[in-house]
Amino acid sequence: MARPNSGRRLARAVLLAALALALIVPIAVRAASTVTAQEVEEGLTCQCGCGLTVANCNHPNCEFSVPAREQIEAMLHRGMSGPQVIAFFRRKYGEKILSAPTTTGFNLLAWVMPFAALLGGGIFVAVAIGRWRAHPEIPAPAPESNAARSAGDDEMRRRLERDLREDF
Amino acid sequence: MPLIGQLALALALILAAYSIVANVVGARRSIPTLLASARHAVWAYCAMVTAAVAALSVSLLRSDFSLEYVASYTSYSLPTFYKITALWGGQQGSLLLWTWLLSLFTAIAAFQNRRRNPEIAPYALATLAAVAIFFLGMLNFVTRPFDMLAAVARDGQDLNPLLQNYWMAIHPPSLYTGYVSASVPFAFATGALITGRLDDSWIRSTRRWAIFSWFFLTLGNLFGARWAYEVLGWGGYWAWDPVENAAFMPWLVMTAYLHSVMIQERKDMLKVWNLALIGMAFGLTLFGTFITRSGVISSVHSFTQSGLGPYFLTFLIVVVAAYAALLIWRLPKLRSPAEFESYLSREAAFLFNNLILVGIAFAVFWGTLFPVLSEAVRGVKITVGPPFFDKVNAPLALGLIFLMGFGPLIAWRRSSLDSLARTFASPAIFGLVTGACAFVAGLRQWYVLAALSLGAFVLGTIVVEFRRGVSARRHLVHDSAPAALVNLVAKNNRRYGGYIIHVGVVMAFVGIVASSFFRTEIKKSVHEGELFQVGPYSLQYLGIETTETPHVETSRARIEVRRDGKPIAMMLPAKLFFKRNQQPATAVAIRSTPAADLYVVLAGMDDQTGLVTFQIFLTPLVFWLWAGGLVMAFGTVIAMWPNVRERAAIAASLRAAAETPAVDEPLRRRA
Repeated sequence: MARPNSGRRLARAVLLAALALALIVPIAVRAASTVTAQEVEEGLTCQCGCGLTVANCNHPNCEFSVPAREQIEAMLHRGMSGPQVIAFFRRKYGEKILSAPTTTGFNLLAWVMPFAALLGGGIFVAVAIGRWRAHPEIPAPAPESNAARSAGDDEMRRRLERDLREDF
Repeated sequence: MPLIGQLALALALILAAYSIVANVVGARRSIPTLLASARHAVWAYCAMVTAAVAALSVSLLRSDFSLEYVASYTSYSLPTFYKITALWGGQQGSLLLWTWLLSLFTAIAAFQNRRRNPEIAPYALATLAAVAIFFLGMLNFVTRPFDMLAAVARDGQDLNPLLQNYWMAIHPPSLYTGYVSASVPFAFATGALITGRLDDSWIRSTRRWAIFSWFFLTLGNLFGARWAYEVLGWGGYWAWDPVENAAFMPWLVMTAYLHSVMIQERKDMLKVWNLALIGMAFGLTLFGTFITRSGVISSVHSFTQSGLGPYFLTFLIVVVAAYAALLIWRLPKLRSPAEFESYLSREAAFLFNNLILVGIAFAVFWGTLFPVLSEAVRGVKITVGPPFFDKVNAPLALGLIFLMGFGPLIAWRRSSLDSLARTFASPAIFGLVTGACAFVAGLRQWYVLAALSLGAFVLGTIVVEFRRGVSARRHLVHDSAPAALVNLVAKNNRRYGGYIIHVGVVMAFVGIVASSFFRTEIKKSVHEGELFQVGPYSLQYLGIETTETPHVETSRARIEVRRDGKPIAMMLPAKLFFKRNQQPATAVAIRSTPAADLYVVLAGMDDQTGLVTFQIFLTPLVFWLWAGGLVMAFGTVIAMWPNVRERAAIAASLRAAAETPAVDEPLRRRA
């Protein structure tokens, strides 16, 4: 039997999934507030010019990352939370020390845009496919009985043979 | 030599300009002799650029310090191998290498098309020559490789120590080859737009060029990652540096293009999209060069920064605007009878694959440029580093891996849910069982579990597809199973080469996920003879040896590695001191196994206390990233391999194109 609504249902599912993704990611970003020393170091950019995070700075005797790591350890040891440590470094060096944009104000745009673009693209593709479906009334293959299943395998093999002739 | 080089570059510029005029006039007025002359001009300017490269290479090898370039990037004591690689160690040399590759590829394209694509080829060659003119203009007037010093230097300043590594010998040429070869399909797309030959003949004619470009972009990125892993000494291989991003974006877009052209070849759809993708890929290669040269965004790749940014930006804007104008002009002629029967079809899966690939490219582009945007809008400098790119791209990567398994197994046009369930049952079960085993083994990170499950799912689908292919082939020609497998791949190399590439991608993906999540790091200061434990390994520091050459002083530590009490390796991490430029560098020691890499950095030495400090990383499964890269390269070679059927298809496509008047036949006649 024809399933004229199956495509629409799928399009809806795709849109919902994309929407959920767009919502989940910022939440996941915020959820990363309970952090360890390693995560605090990952959250700060080394200021020696290596372009890496404090955790990954490749200069063994770096004048910035080595004391910064010790300071982070000490601050966490004194009972400061990860966000407090990060806020301390931000006050001292400015926003450029954060290894990723914050999730507030203009910076939120950095996080939202990729997913918004993907969502827009997803809607565009789903709508385009919906429009391109030239013959939605073409009956989809009927549910197969057990007896028909081996015939289905033959059909699969024929399809593959056809594909192999065309090398796609 | 400098005079020969400079003269050759000047002549190359004139010849490239002549080839544009001759190609365009010859094509518009249908003058075969002029078109032949244009081809000869292409070969001649290739010869001239080759002469310039040879002249600079000889100057480098001879340590001719009357040349500013040679004095800036080499020294007497620099080993000969690095004197050769210094050709791309600096600004002017790397631009010369770029121009040389472009001229070589243009010459090859001119040879390949001397009797085919009579309408598109002249415009494509003119487009390539126009790109070459930009680079030759830079080399002749802005950043000249053959500029002389007022007085001959006594010795050179030497090559940056970070570039004195064999991966740097192959990473930039590979990446440049990938970048530059992308200009050939772009030029043919431009030719198709100009002439109105908008069928798929330009795609078929440049398909191998596109795969070739993708192959070298893959290798270029991989070699760059390996260089970072071995040289930078932080235990990682990818830091989402702007220049790394700039190399990654064309790879993503080219990957999307290679998938979506299949829909055009098969169904004559997505013409605009494919033209847009190849334009984007080429634009991104220019953007990458702009990022590297301009210094507009701070990067660890500061070796070739200069004031060339505005030139590249202007050229980029001109290219993008001109190409977009051509595309918009041809839009009415690019409409094709679009037919999609179902969301559950291979073409729909390819479209969503394109969406994710371009989505990742956009996310990387956006993150790379956001600091500039932030500074322009808020006046505040910010950093967009690895945490941003990891968080944004991680879910997209999972979607891409899923589609990699899903797409190739469903039928063109449409599939029923029942047939899908049958097709995917075994791979899905395999994926779930893999995830369950990982969970039982103690892994709790949802992303790792999802990555392993999806990786297993994709491998399962590939096994199913190979099994089906062998079965179909045996049914067709009654081969034995091994013969059927070999013939299957040989006769359908594009398809099965693609599956092998997918296997490589899964291997690399698993390697990346495992090495990102489970890398452990310790720092240890020890005295000679002291033992310490790193994971399953016992390491004993046996002392330091110092050696010296006229070029470099090396302090090399000896560490014996034991496992279960048995010595299994001697690791020799070192600190280097390059005398000429007075710069230190690190030589890490790596013991690589499929299970994990033991990575040792000699971090410091205290002469007074005798304490030596090591930084040690234990990184699981990172081996599979490199192995996966090699498998991807192997699969690409198989997919690129010429086969008779493809040649026949190209010939048929070109015959059909020749019999059909171009959209602009009247325009050509008018001229």
